Amino acid sequence: MSVIKRAYNALLFSMAYLSGVAIFAAFLMIVTDVLSRFTNLPPLLWVLTAVEYILLWFTMLAAPYLLRIKGHVFVDAVQQFLPAKVKFITAKIVYVLGIFCCVIYTYYSGLLLLEALETGELDMRSFEAPLWSLLLPMPLCFAMCAVEFCRYLIGIDDMYSQTITERESV
Amino acid sequence: MEWYWALATLIGMVVFFMAMGVPVAFTFILTNIIGVLIFYGDPTGWIQIADNSTQLITRFTLGPVPMFIMMGALFFHTGLAIRVFDGLDVVFGKLPGRLCFLTVAGGSVFSTLTGSSMANTAMLGALMVPEMKKRGYNGQMSMGPILGTGGLAMIIPPSALGVLLASVANIDVGKLLIAGFIPGFLLAGLYCIMIYMQLRMNPESAPAYDVEMPSWAERLKIIFINIVPMGIIVFMVIGFIIFGWATPTEAAAFGVLGVFIVALLFRVLTFQAVKQAVEATVKVGAMVFFIIMSSTVFSQLLAFSGASAGLLKWAVSFDISKYWFLFVMFVILIALGMFMDATSMMLITVPIFFPLAEQLGFDLIWFGLFVLMTFEMAGTTPPFGLLLYVMLGVAPKGTTIFQVAKAAFPFLVCDAILILLMVAFPAIALWLPSFM
Repeated sequence: MSVIKRAYNALLFSMAYLSGVAIFAAFLMIVTDVLSRFTNLPPLLWVLTAVEYILLWFTMLAAPYLLRIKGHVFVDAVQQFLPAKVKFITAKIVYVLGIFCCVIYTYYSGLLLLEALETGELDMRSFEAPLWSLLLPMPLCFAMCAVEFCRYLIGIDDMYSQTITERESV
Repeated sequence: MEWYWALATLIGMVVFFMAMGVPVAFTFILTNIIGVLIFYGDPTGWIQIADNSTQLITRFTLGPVPMFIMMGALFFHTGLAIRVFDGLDVVFGKLPGRLCFLTVAGGSVFSTLTGSSMANTAMLGALMVPEMKKRGYNGQMSMGPILGTGGLAMIIPPSALGVLLASVANIDVGKLLIAGFIPGFLLAGLYCIMIYMQLRMNPESAPAYDVEMPSWAERLKIIFINIVPMGIIVFMVIGFIIFGWATPTEAAAFGVLGVFIVALLFRVLTFQAVKQAVEATVKVGAMVFFIIMSSTVFSQLLAFSGASAGLLKWAVSFDISKYWFLFVMFVILIALGMFMDATSMMLITVPIFFPLAEQLGFDLIWFGLFVLMTFEMAGTTPPFGLLLYVMLGVAPKGTTIFQVAKAAFPFLVCDAILILLMVAFPAIALWLPSFM
């Protein structure tokens, strides 16, 4: 069990690192593309599509990690006034709802991925990429989010144990 | 189903799940899943939700969001932000209430470089409140300017929230960003006037104190070294967009490059700072993108259920001035903002308000800025405005939310004045974008 746990945690944190690497790579790609345009070098036409793909991968790879570190924003305007017992039960319902929507998304995005793999459909942008490469992170992301909600449900951690100053937003 | 029931069902679900404490991103996912079941009547529609989820967040126009976050985080973690404050510190000399003015000036510069209201408020609060307390400033004068200036990040370009709004509302990202330039700095000016008036009424609220001032040559040197390079970065980002040399995404990436170069020149660029900046980008950027991933499907549900069209038809059937509608939208946004963050408000209201504003004949860039201004006000509106709680988190022990809200009030008045000025003189917002 502990091997599975360690492997899962390694995957979760590796995905978050990869998300950071991907967005930094996007920054480097954009700068290189603009500099090559300014210096009359041939423009890197693939950058636009590559960045668009990165935006999705960046989001999906980081989502389970964000759930682990309580990084997904929520509204606690009502929650904070609930009695402890009601708050506890509400939290458990929230975790179940979270698992429910993650399972639905895992299943249906998985179906889309399988279909894209079978048909070999292409995604038409500034260059043609196989559609499966766009859909690949979705089932993985949502399956792992479901696992994270399960962790909260069985009481390994509490998603609401965070103060306002620890939260981040735009 | 009648349009009003459809609207009440969809919005009701969002509000209900949010009130339960479901994370905002999952609130919208859940609403979409149930909404599809109600309005399409068939769970196979769920495959469409999964498919459409990739649509909005694979747009190049959203690129400035992570870039602006990275730029701000790098600016903060390399210590360049503190240098700006050091530079501005010498500008104000022995001016009464100098720390309040320093907050507004520093906060405005910091806003332009971070684009994040929460980061701005948290940083200004942590940096300025202890110093103000030490100098005998009362709570009103120490927290108010920070709360006002904290929200400037939503309007002054580059604003990450502005990019999100433009992308979700399908309006020109560059134009909306540039439109915030004049109103943002005008608002900073109004804040300064408000501080001056408060000081006139109660000079003891921010007592003057002796400051050892360097010579004029020294001062110019400090300003040149600490402020000018940051100014160049900001004008590079904005200039690239205005002159059409680069798209907003490309300009934002150059902003990051600019901070890298300046940090390198000041020898403050460390691997640790870069790592922290990328980490902040992942935490904030991915969280926001995960929320807006659901916005396309949510808008489609509002349209498919007939809620958007029904509401639009109903609203324009009244023979009243369009400014009454504007007022109603303002009240709704402020009310929502008392409970939820700007991204959530955006997802709920954009699919309804923007078509309505267009139908009523408002310029959508102007309206976008109006919405951003309202978001800013909502963040500091009691009882639950998010920035109030961020401030409370960094304020001295024993501070109450009432004291924080009271300190924010005069600055909310300034926000309201700016909105009225924008209504009376739309050119305040539209003049700069007209050059694009």
